[in-house]
Amino acid sequence: MTAQPLLEVRGLSKRFAARAGRDPSPWVIQNLSFSVSEGEFLTIVGPSGSGKTTLLNMLAQIDVASGGEVRFQSRAAPVGDPKALNPGLSCQIGYVTQEDNLLPWRTTIENVLFPLRVQGRLNDATRARAEMLIRTVGLAGFQDHYPHELSGGMRKRASLIRTLVYDPPVILMDEPFGALDAQTRTHLQEDLLRLWNLGRKTIIFVTHDIAEAIALGDRTLVLSRAPAQIAGEHAITIPRPRDVRGILTHPAFAGLYERIRAQVQ
Amino acid sequence: MAIPQQAPGSHDASAWPDRLATMLRARSDQLIVLAVLLAIWQGLSLWLGAYWVGTPWGTVTRLFSGVVSGDILRHSSYTLLEAALGFVIGGLPAAALPFALRRQPIATAILDPFMVGGYGAPKLALAPLFILWFGIGIESKVALVAITVFFIVYFSTQAGIRALDARLVVMAQVLGASERHVVRHIVFPGAVPYVFTGFRIAMPYSIGGAVIAELLSANRGLGYLIQLGAMNFDTTGIFVALTATACIVFIGNWSVNAVERRLLRWRPPSDAAAVAAPGS
Repeated sequence: MTAQPLLEVRGLSKRFAARAGRDPSPWVIQNLSFSVSEGEFLTIVGPSGSGKTTLLNMLAQIDVASGGEVRFQSRAAPVGDPKALNPGLSCQIGYVTQEDNLLPWRTTIENVLFPLRVQGRLNDATRARAEMLIRTVGLAGFQDHYPHELSGGMRKRASLIRTLVYDPPVILMDEPFGALDAQTRTHLQEDLLRLWNLGRKTIIFVTHDIAEAIALGDRTLVLSRAPAQIAGEHAITIPRPRDVRGILTHPAFAGLYERIRAQVQ
Repeated sequence: MAIPQQAPGSHDASAWPDRLATMLRARSDQLIVLAVLLAIWQGLSLWLGAYWVGTPWGTVTRLFSGVVSGDILRHSSYTLLEAALGFVIGGLPAAALPFALRRQPIATAILDPFMVGGYGAPKLALAPLFILWFGIGIESKVALVAITVFFIVYFSTQAGIRALDARLVVMAQVLGASERHVVRHIVFPGAVPYVFTGFRIAMPYSIGGAVIAELLSANRGLGYLIQLGAMNFDTTGIFVALTATACIVFIGNWSVNAVERRLLRWRPPSDAAAVAAPGS
């Protein structure tokens, strides 16, 4: 762990603009503070509507904070002015959203190569990396299929490696496996841990599934209901490499699960 | 599962015979409808007399001899030329303008009432004016077609740009896309189906506009043939020209669909009908 956190959130607050003639919208997030160090896998759990997506949107600079600050590598994000935002902080923060957001008019391989193409980094080496990632997540043979020809799990995998392919130092994930069946989800969790072991990126992973938060994270933050604040913080000491399927029977699991569940209201 | 999920990526080869059967069934039913229409036509012709309603058979033989002598093709190609020129002159700027205005909300707001007015105004009523301005040659017909096509394609393209999924744009920005990339990789491909809907709706109007402009004043074209038939009390001549017009529309529609199918291979087949008519 470095002395200076990679990403730091201090007193962050957010409320959406009031509609004309209405009372101001309530605070979604109020006075939220936490930090993330380099190489850490942070999981955040919270009830639905607790502002988890809003938080990630502010970290990725696709939405603007109403107060407080977000610092990445000690540089502060703009507050209040949406025009000053820099989505993805010049490709330093990757974002895997809840929806796969693949371009429907591009094939799997073209979707995965898209960030490299627009960043002007498409060459033999990066192309080979894309091919390697496609094989790793089991999409070999589906390179030339359009998104509507893929299953939900395959689209999710494609959207995951589309972010991994350009190797951003920080990756945000917003319930990326939320809409999948248990079997596919376990597969993808295993894929993700394997890929994370290759590079040890800094990951902030939001979920409402406590077991998932424990299975994946080094540390878990619990958010309260809106306005979101930190309701609890838990170091996950279960050693790596972890077995996603067997984690429920690990001796430390039940206690952690109970303590987190008690805080998720 | 109640609805079996299609195996990912399979191009459902097993459904081919089904689809072929559906197509054959549609074709055979179309022939029945055609036969019924021809029978009604023949019935009217017998009832009212061939003087008022030319017979189907007479129309077919006249059409055939017209094609053989080259008359029909000469008039048709003239009408087609007017329609095609007007389609390009009106349609291309109409497809380009909404892209240029995408990031200009003020200019869009200023233009909007004029565009709505232009869309709603009966363009065919402008034909006499265009004849005064541009003469009785090809120019006045092209102008009428162009202005008719312009508003249809403009609004259809605009609908496509407004229907753009903002999440895709934000995602592309996070991935490092510049404004130029966003236009090229997201706005443009997303709007193409709507542009083509505009083209498909505008296509028969372009032929119709050309024919109507010819009705008013021309010495060539299918509209001229219709006018000539009316002056000579030659109803069969009118039906011949109308049939030729319908054939051109049919071929035009088929061409637009063929180009569209090629450009939109990425779409799931069932979506094709869903965007058929965006709020025009």
